[in-house]
Amino acid sequence: MHPQGNRVVELRIPSELGYEKIAREAVATVARRLNFGEEKIEDIKTAISEACTNAIRYGSGSDARMKVVVVLTADEDKLDILIKDPGAGGVPPLDVAIPDINGMIEGKARFGGMGLYIIRELVDEAGFVEGDDEDGNQFRMVIYRVDDDETKSEKSGSDNKGGTT
Amino acid sequence: MSDEIQVSVRTESSATVIDLVGDVTTFAEEAINQAYQSASSDGAINIIFNFRENDYINSAGIAILIGVVTEARKRDQKLLMTGLSAHFQKIFRMVGLTQYADLYPSVEEALASLNGDSSAA
Repeated sequence: MHPQGNRVVELRIPSELGYEKIAREAVATVARRLNFGEEKIEDIKTAISEACTNAIRYGSGSDARMKVVVVLTADEDKLDILIKDPGAGGVPPLDVAIPDINGMIEGKARFGGMGLYIIRELVDEAGFVEGDDEDGNQFRMVIYRVDDDETKSEKSGSDNKGGTT
Repeated sequence: MSDEIQVSVRTESSATVIDLVGDVTTFAEEAINQAYQSASSDGAINIIFNFRENDYINSAGIAILIGVVTEARKRDQKLLMTGLSAHFQKIFRMVGLTQYADLYPSVEEALASLNGDSSAA
């Protein structure tokens, strides 16, 4: 099913806040095996924590009887992360605005949207996978294993983070 | 699977220091808010949130800190944050929190800045 050379790690965690830290540690181990730099590993840990937290809170209503599934696919040049939740929270947001922290502090803007914004700033590709409604939501993130300078150049040259994947 | 965070309040020469030991997530809300309210009740003007470098902070934790910033602005308090790893300094800048709280590597450097030692920052 997977091209030769891929390594797939799959986790099933209870939909309960706190368990996202297991995904966080697992992805760090996988990212180190792929020789990602330490700062990029921190970015990936934060991104997967936020994505799992969203899946727990909004995708399955923090109901620990439900499961959040995390699939880590390690390729030679990238780490592909898929996070599946039961979809109990309905249709997820497909667009993310920059958090209006000034508005939040002045009581003019609601708290929220911070997690998705942080994810999109930290990884190369991020978005909900369209379709498969019967199986719940699927959120996908991709992080390419390239030199830091090359990554910045690619990210500034093409904005591939805004849409769905 | 909530993790306990240990939050304590101490008074230094020119600031009240709130030490945070543990993960700053939604589970930390009550402890952080209690510590902040305690410091405010004692008349704190300068408040330093001192993080432990390797602890985990997520967006729910950042939301708690935004709530503190909101209260601090109403009370004309100055907020400073210390001990953050380079990664979380980046995250705090990313979300705009550094508009409202200056970051310093250590409590000592934050205190020196408050005491007018410009070389500290």
